[in-house]
Amino acid sequence: MNDLNLLWIIQLAPLVAFLLIQLLPKNAKRTAPLIAMGAALLAALSSLALFYAHRDGNNMPQQYIYQWLKVSDKSLWPFVTIDHYVLNIGFLVDKLNLLMITVVTVIAFFVHLFSYYYMAEDKSRARYFGFLSFFAFSMTGLVLSTNLLQTFLFWELVGLTSYLLIGFWYEKQSASTAARKAFVINRLADLGFYLGIVVLFILTGTLNFTDLNHEFLRQMLPASTLTIIGILIFMGVMGKSAQFPFHVWLPDAMEGPTPVSALIHSATMVAAGVFLLARAFGLFSSSEITLLFILIIGTLTALVGASLATIQRDIKKILAYSTVSQLGLMVMAIGAGSAAAGMFHLTTHAFFKSLLFLTSGAFIHHFHSNDIWEIGQRGGKRDKVAVAALCLGLFSLCGIFPFAGFFSKDLILEVLREHNLFFYIAAILVSFLTVYYSFRMLFVILFSKEKKDMHAHETALAHPHHSSTGAIELCRVIPLASLAIISVVMGFLGTGWLDSRLLLWLGGEETHVNSELLITTLILIVSGALLAYIFFKNPETAETRLTQSRGPIKTILERKFFIDDVYEFLTKKVGMGIAGAFAWFDRKIAKELMVNGTAYRILDLGKISSKIQDGLLQDYLSWAVGVGILVAFWLVKSNSGIF
Amino acid sequence: MSQSLTSYLFISAALFSIGLFGVLTRRNLVAMLISLELILNSVSISFMAFNRFVFADKSLGQVFVIFIIALAAAEVSIALSLILWLHRKKGSIDIEKAKDLRG
Repeated sequence: MNDLNLLWIIQLAPLVAFLLIQLLPKNAKRTAPLIAMGAALLAALSSLALFYAHRDGNNMPQQYIYQWLKVSDKSLWPFVTIDHYVLNIGFLVDKLNLLMITVVTVIAFFVHLFSYYYMAEDKSRARYFGFLSFFAFSMTGLVLSTNLLQTFLFWELVGLTSYLLIGFWYEKQSASTAARKAFVINRLADLGFYLGIVVLFILTGTLNFTDLNHEFLRQMLPASTLTIIGILIFMGVMGKSAQFPFHVWLPDAMEGPTPVSALIHSATMVAAGVFLLARAFGLFSSSEITLLFILIIGTLTALVGASLATIQRDIKKILAYSTVSQLGLMVMAIGAGSAAAGMFHLTTHAFFKSLLFLTSGAFIHHFHSNDIWEIGQRGGKRDKVAVAALCLGLFSLCGIFPFAGFFSKDLILEVLREHNLFFYIAAILVSFLTVYYSFRMLFVILFSKEKKDMHAHETALAHPHHSSTGAIELCRVIPLASLAIISVVMGFLGTGWLDSRLLLWLGGEETHVNSELLITTLILIVSGALLAYIFFKNPETAETRLTQSRGPIKTILERKFFIDDVYEFLTKKVGMGIAGAFAWFDRKIAKELMVNGTAYRILDLGKISSKIQDGLLQDYLSWAVGVGILVAFWLVKSNSGIF
Repeated sequence: MSQSLTSYLFISAALFSIGLFGVLTRRNLVAMLISLELILNSVSISFMAFNRFVFADKSLGQVFVIFIIALAAAEVSIALSLILWLHRKKGSIDIEKAKDLRG
């Protein structure tokens, strides 16, 4: 099978699944998961086949392009010297795309599988799997697109599916509010993205990723314009990848079903921003100021996310803030000029974070609680598979030696150390906080004393399905185990032991062991874990101490650095104030003065002229005779000239 | 003078002016109607005069005048019925009473 056919299968299989699920008759809706899983499996296998066929990395990039629009009218833009504006659609295949499409489709398949377990009792299962398939379609389209506009179209589609799935349980007020928040913040950020695309297209006449390189851009545009375009497009990334100050939607997005959080809000969609940064790296890196801006935003995001994760009680919120901070780290790496390091961390993070989310899904589904203290008290540690997966994911997140996160995070630290000491220290701080909140979560779940009676009671009442083994149990274990194995292997692919394959593939350099960095991270891990152990070796006393203690730092963290309050102030006070001014203008000026005013003045004129119509027959006759005489005079005069 | 177009046109114009004056000044609807008849007759006279002195076909003007007389009879019958109705409604045939349609 040739590449193009495989690409079409990867792109269209999820869409076909989505359409089929929508068209299913009511009594056949229970087959929806099978259709969606089949399509996801097909897409995953196709992308693996594609990856395998191109494993040597030769003959790249390949493009399959179909011309969409062509405009040659120079009068459209009088100040520009471009002859032709051409818009294409199509597939682009290069190393970056291949890696990303494999990550996306493989994780999507495992999440589909896990969803079969997680959503087994949900009434709207067909709707859920339909949306999931539609997301897979949009995400593959985003990854495979050849130019910025095509990316933007699919970018909006993944935004839509994200909205639909966050608000999947729309009868819950908090879920529908969170969905709306995510949607609005993303649209605001995408406005910048769109403006950037428009400006770039007008000025250069091309949006193809293959054209966006230093020489071309620097030749076409001055540095200041490149900076503006870069920052505008980066705004879209800030929205999608939850960068400061647009990160507030991601923790709220945890209202969606947990597998959705694993797929969309940790592994793939939020990583799309980082992917775009690497994809159009030529554009961003052609301006130093843009890179610095990206680096600063990434640093802020990483710090804010990591510090907020330390006080959450909700297991999904911890992971969400952790995702925010890890995304910040990736953006930092790219801002420091190493797209390879960012993409490497994206890849490992995608696997271990989706593993963590699926594990938390297993806990939540089993114990019907998001609270880590309650999960611990209801016997979280007795679920051996989940605990093993949790440990593996958390160790990976912390960057403990043989696990994936160790390699990718250390690479980022190294890149930052060579770039700038200040940002290096910030990243060290983020890593320390990461270790602290990871172990806090682990210790609370492991060390909590079980409250036997309550748990037994609830199990008997609420979980008749837990006796069920077979298919559903397999759907729980297989994704966890597979993702765990993959996330271990992934890390080694980026190291000297396996010839740094992944890094070289991404265009990075071969890594070498850096003893100073190793010692730093070791100290970080030990001290973070110790700190967490001291605080949380006894979760019950820690809980009472936490609820009682008061202090400025705690207040700041609990109020999330007041960012939500700032947004509330901006929307409620400033936004409503501006809206009020406009409403006043609309009511008083536009409506009363202009529209109604015109009508009333004309009415007044009518009242004056209606005085002529006095109802007296002879007055009318006099008018008629008078005008008749005038007309007669005029006719006679113009015809004969007698008068 | 006696057998020229001008003298007939003078008579016609005089009759028209008297009629117009009557229509515009009299408040009594019947008097207005009579004045209207004068106007019609002045037009008839001018038709006859032009037919006699200017136009080649000797019968066309006379046919017109016969039509005008028939038309005047019909118009008078309608106008009189309206006046009668107005009298029943208002108890008067003063034209100044009939101004309900003023603006």
